[in-house]
Amino acid sequence: MVATMLTVMIVLLALGFPMMIPMLAASVVVILFFMPNVDPIFLVQQMMEGISSYVLLAVPLFIFAADIMSTGKTSKRLLDFVGSFVGHVRGGYAITTAAACTLFGSISGSTQATVVAIGKPMRKRLLSVGYKDSSAIALIINASDVALLIPPSIGMIIYALAAPNVSVGDLFIAGIGPGVLIFLMFAIYSYIHAKIFNIPLGEKMSWRDRGKTTVRALFPLGFPVIIVGGIYFGYFSPTEAAGISVLYALILEVLIFRSIKVFDIPKIALSTGLVTAAVFILVAAGQAFSWLISYARIPRLLTETVIPADPTALQVLLIVAIFFFIGCMFVDPIVVILILTPIFYPVAVQAGVDPVHLGVVITFQAALGSATPPFGVDIFTASAVFNKSYLDVIRGTPPYIIMLLIASVLIILFEDISLFLLRFM
Amino acid sequence: STEGDNGASGGETYDWRFVVEETEGQVQYEYAQEFAELLNEKTDGQVNIDVYDFGSLGSEVDQVEGVQQGMFEMGIISPGFTGGLVAEGQVFSLQFLFPDDQEVTQEILNTSEALNTHLVELYEAQNLKPLAFMSEGAMQWTGNRELRTPDDFNGFKMRTQSSPLMLETYGAYGADPSPLSWSELYVSLDRGVVDGQENPIFFIEDASFHEVQDHMTISNHNTYVAMVTINPGIYNDLPEDIRTALDETVEEMRDRGFEIQDQLNEELLDSIVNDTDNPTEVIELTEEERAEFRELQLPIRDFFRDEIIGDEGREMFDLLLEEIAEHE
Amino acid sequence: MNVIRKLDYGLMKLEEYILSYSIIIIAVMVVGNVLSRSIFGSSWSFANEVSQMAVIIATFIGISYAARKGRHISMSAFFDLAPYPIRKGLAIFIPAVTAVILFILAYYSYGYFLSVHGTGRVTTSMQMPVYMMAIFLPIGFTLGGIQFLRNMWINIKEKDVYLAQDKKDYS
Ligand code: NA
Ligand code: NA
Repeated sequence: MVATMLTVMIVLLALGFPMMIPMLAASVVVILFFMPNVDPIFLVQQMMEGISSYVLLAVPLFIFAADIMSTGKTSKRLLDFVGSFVGHVRGGYAITTAAACTLFGSISGSTQATVVAIGKPMRKRLLSVGYKDSSAIALIINASDVALLIPPSIGMIIYALAAPNVSVGDLFIAGIGPGVLIFLMFAIYSYIHAKIFNIPLGEKMSWRDRGKTTVRALFPLGFPVIIVGGIYFGYFSPTEAAGISVLYALILEVLIFRSIKVFDIPKIALSTGLVTAAVFILVAAGQAFSWLISYARIPRLLTETVIPADPTALQVLLIVAIFFFIGCMFVDPIVVILILTPIFYPVAVQAGVDPVHLGVVITFQAALGSATPPFGVDIFTASAVFNKSYLDVIRGTPPYIIMLLIASVLIILFEDISLFLLRFM
Repeated sequence: STEGDNGASGGETYDWRFVVEETEGQVQYEYAQEFAELLNEKTDGQVNIDVYDFGSLGSEVDQVEGVQQGMFEMGIISPGFTGGLVAEGQVFSLQFLFPDDQEVTQEILNTSEALNTHLVELYEAQNLKPLAFMSEGAMQWTGNRELRTPDDFNGFKMRTQSSPLMLETYGAYGADPSPLSWSELYVSLDRGVVDGQENPIFFIEDASFHEVQDHMTISNHNTYVAMVTINPGIYNDLPEDIRTALDETVEEMRDRGFEIQDQLNEELLDSIVNDTDNPTEVIELTEEERAEFRELQLPIRDFFRDEIIGDEGREMFDLLLEEIAEHE
Repeated sequence: MNVIRKLDYGLMKLEEYILSYSIIIIAVMVVGNVLSRSIFGSSWSFANEVSQMAVIIATFIGISYAARKGRHISMSAFFDLAPYPIRKGLAIFIPAVTAVILFILAYYSYGYFLSVHGTGRVTTSMQMPVYMMAIFLPIGFTLGGIQFLRNMWINIKEKDVYLAQDKKDYS
């Protein structure tokens, strides 16, 4: 059954079918030929379920806000502001992008939303200063994924539920070290990359000019202030912040800058709707597919065959890393965490792995997998949002995947990267 | 479904899927595991049950549909997730309805004719057969401020389902019921997007909500009830001996179910109280304080009776009220 | 022919209208709920369900619209590198099989619609029948299937390779 499923998926995928079809066709085939007692209506029930998650609402809303801001003046003013400070620094824009993705991701808690909200405006600017599109997109996707690691991380909240006696608060603190490590790796890479590819440097701006860009960006800078402040002071939840960003973007563009007319709004919403539909149908198909493999108990069968008797802590962590990495290449990270955590947790704890450290490793691998082909959901999002072909989106990712693999080896080997902050508490 | 070696009832084996709404270490999962072992023992290995914990099988509502369709032979289902299907199941959402004593409440759940005959019939009409009603423990309130009197709820943003019944229930205290996704609840409690939530103790501890709440009120405002269900078609087709073993298992598991939740809730209450890194002020309502809340909930019973349920439901509800009165 | 073209144009406009207003409705619901809760101290109990419904409608009606615009995501490495005859063959084969899968799903989702219609299940807060959401699945899959059939047909009819009805492959 597993062989049939994989064959159908891989063949259809390779031929260039729309991505939803390999997952759905494989599911239909498996149900028809191997699961006589499963009513196929469950495939569509799960498709509906897959997109009914409340947290997913942030995705269309951030796309909408980004569409409004890039149609109007907000985006440009924000980027001019950033440019006046970092334009003359080697790799400055790339490092700023990495920082913005990491920070925004930690606030919004959604990697997809980050790809949209930061990626959309930053990509334009990266292109205009001489970056290749593939490097710009790769940077955005991978920097956004670090978001899964930094509080308030949804991945960690889900892990804490599946793992007994683990505190969400401890996990949040433990995620900071690895998050910073990865950001530093990306920053250093951005510097080296800019040097090798000789990305032209901008002129160093005078403080007078910087003052000008800052004044022009005052209203747009209210955007991060309102989002961060609103969440921090409890006016709204991270998902609701996406809605508030739409409201703020409209207030700026329609009322203050008058760059968008009320009648233009439906047209912008249509472009948002098209991107949303292209991404969400894949989220839906992914849920149907993962329902099927967990109903068939495939994850448990696979893990049971792989885990050796009396494993060492290192062995368990390596197996965990591989399983979560591969799982998240195909299925939504949240779902993978829910399925696999209960299987690995007891084995890992028995082998002496710290439960908090295990949570960090799991969340990190999930983040890594979701930025990795073929089914990494952030690749879909980037492909739809930037209207680039799938291959163009993944072309620049190998250096990042290598860096993240190095980071995961470091995190697995040195648990202090995640646990050292907790020791001060 | 059933995979028989032969048609005779003697040697036939059954491989069942039993789906629960919780994960390992929580009440439903532990109950289902013990249930599976006991039934396997009683049938000399003829019935093998594989327990599916909450994960990627969709929402709780999807799991209900899974049992209805027979894709899962058995399931533990909270009536709260069937409110759109059997409105009468929301009777367990009524606050201060059952007696304060958890053991007496369990006794009513076990023996009530209103529940075990009338309510069961309403579910059977929807292709679900409840075999037992089990308690997962009393529901408690947590908040960013102390909740001792109905006045404390004034303007309090309570995270709860946004069903008409819950709107009325918390509206009666002057609170603002705010629907919020489970996955955003921890952060929202921390930042004060909502002020509090309700759950049994074991769940509060497991989801770490006490880390981001300063106060917990042992309010016992109602009991979290779940139903052990089976697909009726599968139940009716069982040979006599297997069905008897199943019924016996259900009976023997009643006390075990109570013990499992009692032990878990007690252990995890200690764990909340002893968590000095995240101090939580725990208070317990006195009889007088509970009476004040109960008073405000009496009209909600009428609302439930008049607006939510049908004629058959009213018959069930009136009988249940009588049965509860007899126990007090 | 003219009638069909007009009908198709009307359908496309309807799809655009639905996609666009679904997004606007989601924004209004999420923002409205926040404002109502912080200013008036009362949440919109219906906000979540309305948003969810808008997402479902946009996603499934969007199958067809994204197919028109050639915006479904695919991994086209082999397709892009293949010589003309193979690419032409695939440009007919892929939409044909895709259409078949979508029609199968349309059939299943009609079954799902009948099933939730039968139980009469309603949503928690608005007490709205769930079948009113489920009906958009068979509609979306059917319209999507038809659109992929058109993508197949234009590749049979024309000499050039088309990625979609409205999108020629220039590579
Ligand atoms: Na936990
Ligand atoms: Na606390």
